[in-house]
Amino acid sequence: MTRSTRDIICVEDVVKDFRPGFGLRRKRVLHGVSFVVREGEIFGFVGPNGAGKTTMLKVLMDLIRPTSGRASILGSDVSETEFRHQVGFLPENPYFYPFLTAREILTFYAKLSGMAEPTRSQRVAGVIEWVGLEHAADARLKTYSKGMLQRVGIAQSLVHDPIVVFLDEPMSGLDPLGRKEIRDIILRLKAEGKTVFMNTHILTDVEMICDRVAIIVEGQIRYQGTVENFLEDDDMRSDVVLSHLPADLGVRLDEDFDARIQGVGDRIEIHLRDKDVSRLLEMALAEGAEVVSVTQRRISLESIFLETVAKSREGSSNR
Amino acid sequence: MRIWMRIWAIATNTLREAIRNKLLYTLLFFSVAVIGTAVLIASLSYVEGARIIQDLGLSAIRLFGVGIAVFVGIGLIHGEVERRTVYTILSKPVSRTHFLLGKFLGLALTVWLQLVLMSIAFAGVVLLSGGTLGFGHAAALFLVGMELMLIVAVATLFSAFTTPMLAALFTLGVYALGHLSRELYHLGQQADVASVTWVATWVYRLVPDLETFNKTIEAAHGMPISAVEVGLSTLYAVGYTTALLFAASYIFRHRDMK
Ligand SMILES: Nc1ncnc2c1ncn2[C@@H]1O[C@H](COP(=O)(O)OP(=O)(O)OP(=O)(O)O)[C@@H](O)[C@H]1O
Ligand SMILES: [Mg+2]
Repeated sequence: MTRSTRDIICVEDVVKDFRPGFGLRRKRVLHGVSFVVREGEIFGFVGPNGAGKTTMLKVLMDLIRPTSGRASILGSDVSETEFRHQVGFLPENPYFYPFLTAREILTFYAKLSGMAEPTRSQRVAGVIEWVGLEHAADARLKTYSKGMLQRVGIAQSLVHDPIVVFLDEPMSGLDPLGRKEIRDIILRLKAEGKTVFMNTHILTDVEMICDRVAIIVEGQIRYQGTVENFLEDDDMRSDVVLSHLPADLGVRLDEDFDARIQGVGDRIEIHLRDKDVSRLLEMALAEGAEVVSVTQRRISLESIFLETVAKSREGSSNR
Repeated sequence: MRIWMRIWAIATNTLREAIRNKLLYTLLFFSVAVIGTAVLIASLSYVEGARIIQDLGLSAIRLFGVGIAVFVGIGLIHGEVERRTVYTILSKPVSRTHFLLGKFLGLALTVWLQLVLMSIAFAGVVLLSGGTLGFGHAAALFLVGMELMLIVAVATLFSAFTTPMLAALFTLGVYALGHLSRELYHLGQQADVASVTWVATWVYRLVPDLETFNKTIEAAHGMPISAVEVGLSTLYAVGYTTALLFAASYIFRHRDMK
């Protein structure tokens, strides 16, 4: 893998085996995962439950050690400590000391990152406002709802103004409004030039904000690249409904376009590639047909995702 | 310098969390109640009331101190790993060794704070019942503090790699062995079987000799305790604690955070 200076995160052939119980049987969770995350992008690490997303993130946070392979962040091997003042991390379902208040816990994390007064309390107040917790900043965390704890988690990951932020399921446990707020926070981080690495299986979020994605299924990367390319892998299709067709047009359409045609009464429905739509319409109008409707069938990331997962599961069970 | 600031932040945070946790108040209230009961028993027995108060009071302090050290101490690391607070802490520029040191220090502070409060209750009871306090009492209580620090370090070591139940059992085991190890050693020297002698000797060498810190009788009966002895016991506690923390840190550095 070529490594440029703009690569903020670089993961090379990471393998992780767990040994559940005392037996010698090992369970391979990551099968040689490699990817890079570039400066300033929002990177989505996407996969079904149990694919190994959290495991990968734990390797990056040095909470678990890879069986083999290497991972580095900002050019430092993940086993180092000092570079972490430039890194923020939101774990899956974060948990904090229940008897402290949000302000206290954030001050604590800011101290751990080496921030000194007066910057520290300003920054703490800043992130509290940013995640919308002003009203509860001085209440103990045991009185917080799940969504509020998630916000404390996000505030904690940003309090020391990191360059790169790792988020494990940042939208989980939030209502639609809360999710939009988190999306806005992530977009603002990008606008500030930060790099965001995000684990998720909520695909609409990926479509909305991610620049590039890696899709992981059963511990293996199945796709890595831009969201657009991923969507273009399968051509977008549209449905065009026409009426008052000349008799022979239907036959010619069949020859000219790689289309599926269905007759419905005096109307026909043509299912064809997006890029052929205008040519079809020109031809049909010239022949005196009437256009009833044109619908773009948006193939969602979800359907492609489901397909990819199904394909790779099939592949691995055939092996 | 920055490193110490971080360790200190973890320690004070641990102390603060412990102070706000109602469980500690319950334990403290209970221990003060026991010390109070000691007075009552003593005042009923008439004979040598003052000594019995002191004896019972100091013993109660030691017992509750260990209880607090073990049960709050075990929760320390394991609770953090289990509840995943450790994830966010280790994602900051804090190494695992720093984390462990901070937790240990915070726990030692918590246990010492409890000891100070219990000592105040003890002093009040002794003075109210017409007794006098001297260097012996201060020395005995100080050594209890050293013993508790050592027990916290033992708890830290075990909770760095086992489940809380096992860690509590092991720590209590070390506590019991530590108070018996001298006896065991002497018994072992008299044994006819060589392997028994060998085992007893190694138990004595490996397990801390906790009787060093037990000056209850001397303090209660006004017998002299030398400052040198206190100094040596302190060195022993600090040395042992350091070794335990090294071991704990080695294990903690090499494990996966599940
Ligand atoms: N400590 C562990 N010991 C044994 N197996 C583990 C351990 N941690 C994770 N696993 C296994 O590794 C696999 C991947 O888990 P991981 O938590 O990384 O999935 P994930 O992609 O984050 O899923 P989700 O979307 O549900 O969060 C699962 O099959 C899980 O059972
Ligand atoms: Mg996960």
